[in-house]
Amino acid sequence: MTGFIGPETRIQDFSLWDKMKSTRRVLSFDLEITARCNNDCHHCYINLPAGDKRAREQELTLSEIERIASEAVKLGAFWVLITGGEPLLRPDFPEIYISLKRKGLLVSVFTNATMIQKEHVDLFLKYPPRDIEVSVYGATKETYEKVTGSPGSFDAFERGLKLLVDSGVRVRLKAMALRSNLHELPAISVFCRKYTKDYYRFDPLLHLRFDGDAKRNAGIIAERLTPEEIVTIEQADSERFGSLQKNCDKLINENFCHTGCDHLFHCGAGNGSFSVSYDGKFRLCSSLWAPETMYDFRTGTLHDAWVNTVPRVRELRSRDPEFLKTCRRCPLINLCLWCPAHSYLETGAMDACVEYFCQVAHARAAALGYKGPGPYTHESRTDTIGEL
Amino acid sequence: MDNLTPESILVHSDDIVSREIEGELIIVPIASGIGDMEDELYTLNETGRSIWERIDGKRSLQNITGDLAEEYSATPDIIMKDVVGLAEELLKRKILVIKG
Repeated sequence: MTGFIGPETRIQDFSLWDKMKSTRRVLSFDLEITARCNNDCHHCYINLPAGDKRAREQELTLSEIERIASEAVKLGAFWVLITGGEPLLRPDFPEIYISLKRKGLLVSVFTNATMIQKEHVDLFLKYPPRDIEVSVYGATKETYEKVTGSPGSFDAFERGLKLLVDSGVRVRLKAMALRSNLHELPAISVFCRKYTKDYYRFDPLLHLRFDGDAKRNAGIIAERLTPEEIVTIEQADSERFGSLQKNCDKLINENFCHTGCDHLFHCGAGNGSFSVSYDGKFRLCSSLWAPETMYDFRTGTLHDAWVNTVPRVRELRSRDPEFLKTCRRCPLINLCLWCPAHSYLETGAMDACVEYFCQVAHARAAALGYKGPGPYTHESRTDTIGEL
Repeated sequence: MDNLTPESILVHSDDIVSREIEGELIIVPIASGIGDMEDELYTLNETGRSIWERIDGKRSLQNITGDLAEEYSATPDIIMKDVVGLAEELLKRKILVIKG
């Protein structure tokens, strides 16, 4: 050993990250390369039909993606997530993928795996992704296709997943916990563990669509589980519930009640990461679609968005007294799906209370031993602080 | 390394990307076969970096040694040992390749 080269460094142990975080660098970004999908899942917040001509015409071109990625790399970005819609619907997916790799980015891909072909596997073997994350909607054809609304999708999914796994591509699996597949969640867990040793995760928290489509939003709401059902499935997953219990003091933050802060954003949106929509809009996170918080890459630069838009948005404040005395002071904020982005999708305002989120948060808190007041109502939660 | 001589000309592999972040040189493998783990990144210390930056597919190891010996007012024999040592390490990891 000459001592010139550092030892092989696992990226999560890289001391440089701490340095980068302290200098407001870009660390990562999500890239939605399409909003179109070959499935028609009821619960999806973004999917447009695979043949939607208008959506396709609005998609960022390869050269636009390259420009945005080059700017992101210049600002320090190390990770990119290629997502959609279904990214593999784009015939130029391999070019986009290689282009991002060649910029020195670590690339993850979200896919439903139904369109995976040998060419994709060869690509991933030659240029390894950081990971491929595949959604599992059911463990049987009947349930899977009830969720996707796409006949033949289960066989295509199993074929694609097997192709990836058998070739040694690193795959992680995830599931949405839905009304349509709730009865099959244990079987989905078994199915996932059969294919990968990695921890598989499920998400029971559905948010509404980016385009506000009322009919489809009704479909999402119909797929939501009750707060009690969410708690039950979380408790049944010992790994997940153990983690909630372990981090209880961070998830339930009593001090939050006393800040008196009226800022809307207390999350990490725009702190080291951002999201690019399929039609070239810069957003602080993938859920944030309020027009006043977005920036158009087609008429501007990432540098401008990062230096000007992000601080402006993060400085936004609420003037709604109801919000300021309830959600803004709620110690359960980290157990809640509430955030300015989801509030906007539910109500059209970034500082509105959402009763379903509140009920879920309180049910989760109660399961963790929280003895504060019950679900939010305008009367009961004005200034009562719960106790642990 | 048997086939490495003072006349050898090396070049950065097409399968890596080197990036500078916060003043540090980071080598990011982009293709399989570089390093043992997919999550691996490499950094070079200041001396390693001064050698790395001179490896351009044109200059031989001897030329690079001469250049560094002049810049650092050091004995070429000692510098050559360092240059070859680093080159061997990076060749082993396929971060560098021998040109031609």
